[in-house]
Amino acid sequence: MKLPKAPPVVSDINVTPMVDVMLVLLIIFMVITPMLTKGAQVNLVKTRNPIKMQDADKEDAVLISVTRDGKIWLSPGNAMIGLDKLASRVKDLQTARTGDKTVYIRADARARYGSVEDVIDQLRTDGVDTLGLITEEVQDRNRRGLSL
Amino acid sequence: MAMAVGGSGGAKADINVTPLIDVLLVLLIIFMVITPLTPHGLNTLVPQPPPPNQPPPPPNQDPNVVIEVAKDTSMQINGQPIKEAELQSRLEDVFKTRATKVVFVKGDPDVDYRYVARAIDDAKGAGLDKVGLMTPKVEAGQ
Repeated sequence: MKLPKAPPVVSDINVTPMVDVMLVLLIIFMVITPMLTKGAQVNLVKTRNPIKMQDADKEDAVLISVTRDGKIWLSPGNAMIGLDKLASRVKDLQTARTGDKTVYIRADARARYGSVEDVIDQLRTDGVDTLGLITEEVQDRNRRGLSL
Repeated sequence: MAMAVGGSGGAKADINVTPLIDVLLVLLIIFMVITPLTPHGLNTLVPQPPPPNQPPPPPNQDPNVVIEVAKDTSMQINGQPIKEAELQSRLEDVFKTRATKVVFVKGDPDVDYRYVARAIDDAKGAGLDKVGLMTPKVEAGQ
């Protein structure tokens, strides 16, 4: 019996479904990643001697972000807040906290120090005495001077 | 119309798992990279206003050490200019003989925050566990 020739065998892997999955993954992660970091997007200062601050990740940790243009974001809530309302808002949050009363500040490396000072002065009126300045740890001694 | 019946080699009934493994490996790597890193930070103190109706505390034996960061990012320890690279070793020297490891950091409002943070970082590196931030209102005694 004579059969007609079959078309040549395609030996390549069909990558189309894989690419589909990858693209969906990429989009999912692009959407999720900004939500993982608490507070506003800031470039942290690179320092050599920071200590671990696990408590800054807690749900009720008071975290204040100061962006490069001096805007203030307050977590929990993750909302922009005016300097005049900061003290009363932090006071409310602090009374709800038990134990550790440290307030954490995530300030942009290029923010004016004056705007950070303003935040500290506001916190001082609430009786906050310990601050955690969130920074990024670098191992290399020399790199700090070169980069941001 | 004719059907291709049979062919070279038997038909493979296995699922090709290679793409699946690829995807899973990439997923694994992505999760490893974005695993929330524990935040790091520098612990600092904010001097509190003295309680009212209390006599001022007796003057200290040791004068306070104040690191100042000027507008042009130059640094001074108690008025003496110092290079940023030498700050840590200088602080180590100064505090070798002192019992209280307390330093105050003061920054010009117009200087970038990173220079002040680095001064604090150097103080931490010199083993000073108490770093106080001097703000304008602290200095005014409010």
